[in-house]
Amino acid sequence: MKAKTGKHFQKARIMAQVVFTFLFFYLLLSAGRAGAGAESFTYTDYFFYFDPLLLLLNFIATSKILPLFLLSLVPLALTFVLGRFFCGWVCPFGAVNQFFSWIFKKSKKEKKGVDKKLLKLKYIMLILVVVSALMGAHYGGWLDPFSLLTRSVTTIVNPSVNYLLEESLKKGAKDEGIVAKGLKPFYNFSRKNLLTVKQRAYHQTFIIGGIFFLLLFLNLYKRRFFCNYLCPLGALYGLAARFSLFNLKTDEKCISCKACARNCTYKGSPFEDYLKSDCVVCFNCVGDCPTDAIAASLKVPKKENRAAVDIDLGRRKIMGSIVFGLCLGALPKIASPVRSRLHRFLRPPGSVPEKEFLKKCIRCGECMQICPTNFIQPALFETGMEGVWTPVLNAQTGYCEYTCNKCTRVCPTKAIAPLELKEKQKFKMGVAVVDRNRCYTYADGYNCAVCEEHCPIPEKAIRFREVPTWNFEGKQVNVKQVYVVPDLCTGCGICENVCPRTDAPGILMSAEEEQREELTF
Amino acid sequence: MKRRDFIKKTAMISSSLYLPGLLGMAQAPKGDLVVKVEGESPYEITKRAVKELGGMEKFISKQDIVMVKPNIGWNREVEQAACTNPDVVRAIVEMALNAGAKKVIVMDNPCHKAEDTYSRSGIKEAAQKAGAEVRFPDENRLVVHDFKGQRVTQWPVFKDFLDVDKVINVPILKHHGSAGLTIAMKNLYGILGGNRGKLHRDMAQGIADLAYSFKPRLNIVDAYRILLRNGPIGGRVSDVELKKTVIASTNIMEADVVAVNVFGSAPEQYDFIRAAFERKMGQMDISKINLKTIKI
Repeated sequence: MKAKTGKHFQKARIMAQVVFTFLFFYLLLSAGRAGAGAESFTYTDYFFYFDPLLLLLNFIATSKILPLFLLSLVPLALTFVLGRFFCGWVCPFGAVNQFFSWIFKKSKKEKKGVDKKLLKLKYIMLILVVVSALMGAHYGGWLDPFSLLTRSVTTIVNPSVNYLLEESLKKGAKDEGIVAKGLKPFYNFSRKNLLTVKQRAYHQTFIIGGIFFLLLFLNLYKRRFFCNYLCPLGALYGLAARFSLFNLKTDEKCISCKACARNCTYKGSPFEDYLKSDCVVCFNCVGDCPTDAIAASLKVPKKENRAAVDIDLGRRKIMGSIVFGLCLGALPKIASPVRSRLHRFLRPPGSVPEKEFLKKCIRCGECMQICPTNFIQPALFETGMEGVWTPVLNAQTGYCEYTCNKCTRVCPTKAIAPLELKEKQKFKMGVAVVDRNRCYTYADGYNCAVCEEHCPIPEKAIRFREVPTWNFEGKQVNVKQVYVVPDLCTGCGICENVCPRTDAPGILMSAEEEQREELTF
Repeated sequence: MKRRDFIKKTAMISSSLYLPGLLGMAQAPKGDLVVKVEGESPYEITKRAVKELGGMEKFISKQDIVMVKPNIGWNREVEQAACTNPDVVRAIVEMALNAGAKKVIVMDNPCHKAEDTYSRSGIKEAAQKAGAEVRFPDENRLVVHDFKGQRVTQWPVFKDFLDVDKVINVPILKHHGSAGLTIAMKNLYGILGGNRGKLHRDMAQGIADLAYSFKPRLNIVDAYRILLRNGPIGGRVSDVELKKTVIASTNIMEADVVAVNVFGSAPEQYDFIRAAFERKMGQMDISKINLKTIKI
């Protein structure tokens, strides 16, 4: 292939990255803007189906194959031909990292040459997530690029952009003053087209955001840091790419100027340190070569060449990572909450039983993005060590909308099983419990019943009875005291959400009578 | 003819000319007119009710900005009777625009998510078709307003409701857990922001305070479909009854009293009606109300 065609390929690669990244963000963000209606279907989850790592981990953990994930065998098979093209051309998080590496390029803090030691790290990561999945613990979602990006955009990027935009234009909402009048058209436009009606809020913005921005800033240290050194999916593709037909080679025109190493994503070059397992087929080297000396070709690699050009983790490191992975898999399973019958957290409607849930959930946060009321939140340690970033319900930030079943539709791994709207309206996430020490109708002796008003169950799962009682003034009065009908209550949490108390709710949802745990033992 | 007879006869004849008027004054109460119209089409009965009150031109001046405030509180469909009938809203928007209003805005601060309630209730589509601006509540537009009431004093209100020239209150008649019924006076809770749940303590006084201090130009109660039980959110079609009625009046309390009558219960048993009566906002006894009933 000629260098000129190589340059075209470089441009095509950048175009592909822009297109796929745009598509990814468009699908994800359109999910967040949609209302509760089940009729507006979204395709946000489709990116995940092209992720062979998730297919593998899910198969290992649950010994079942998710049919739609078989789509991921397509890019995996193509890798045997084209090398790690997926990382270079398709992966949106790869594109984000590449973009930041490009921005940080001028800082020139990077050292030259391939860091082979660090490149091994991603294989260790792959071994860790695979081995711990064998033990039923699913850490893949922490590092899987799709999960990581979706989670970060959902809980950090999207809400902060919304906040910054709204905060800077907020004055335009008011009618008095020159500033307000000047900002008003911009405010009205963004209110109509961009801003969410209600600013979303998530737990752990500091932790998830901190990790996300750290990963972006690590590109300052080494370009495409995450992709080269941490990404387990990259490692999986790297293993396949060793056997790929795609090859880059310098020919006799080479003047040993090392220009090809200048923009290489892993800082190798076809001239020296060419690593098939790390080349993401970006064509930067071909574009940079002043003498058109780099030839790309598709041919079956010779066996003796393979060992020389690839990274060997070594038996010790492999064994060490396996043992470490086993520990990682076992440790959360012997933590004390696992032995306890009690748990204080609730899962979204349709969630499978907890043990299975932890094996299936990839912590991607799709459900959090799609939830129209901001009800679903990423957990920290409430669900145990391995449950970090799994979805839990929080009635302080939202409630489960009666006419919505969207979260059951987007879960890529079906940790939240798909439910028809009718099924979801009957699905018991938990049960509301009245805290009689706090509820106004008991503690202070006056009428309130805001929870009763909001209860969406047509037969009313929250009712009240008129009871003579002593009020806070010491007088005997008839008060409409609220009570819950557990058989009807689904634990949607709107009662807790609307309870007017400002210290702690007088009625709260609890995991009592959770439908998904009925048959677990 | 004696002089006395002459005087008597002239008096009788002249008075008989004014008889309908005089009789009306003697028998019917003097208060604000309340019109109750029954009929098959919610759109037609709304138009008729306003026409009987004197037409929309009587209430709206040319170039007015008019706010129509329906009840769009819940993510429910028309058949579930939790939100105002969209046809009623459509009729009002059309009438207001025909009367020369510069702009008609339709807005409510719902309990569920606004994007959902606006569209599911059908009001968004109906109002936009009729030419109104459908506006979502925007918390950046909250201002503190002093209602100077017993229960409600200072409270955040959406500026939109204070800035417009005329407000038309378009509630739906339905059952309400803590208040008993929610009609025109209770509908005004929808102009408020903030922690509205707090106003459910002593709710009757709160409702009366609000209605006493914030006076819509016109109240049109949609009692076409009414929710008999499990309100205000409802959900079961079996809890809904067709009454095919619209009530219109400038007097918010008397509109409520007539609506209570349509619902089939006695006004005295509702605390918020009594609280409004104590504030001398109108008559509680339906026989003392200047009521005009029409069937089409």
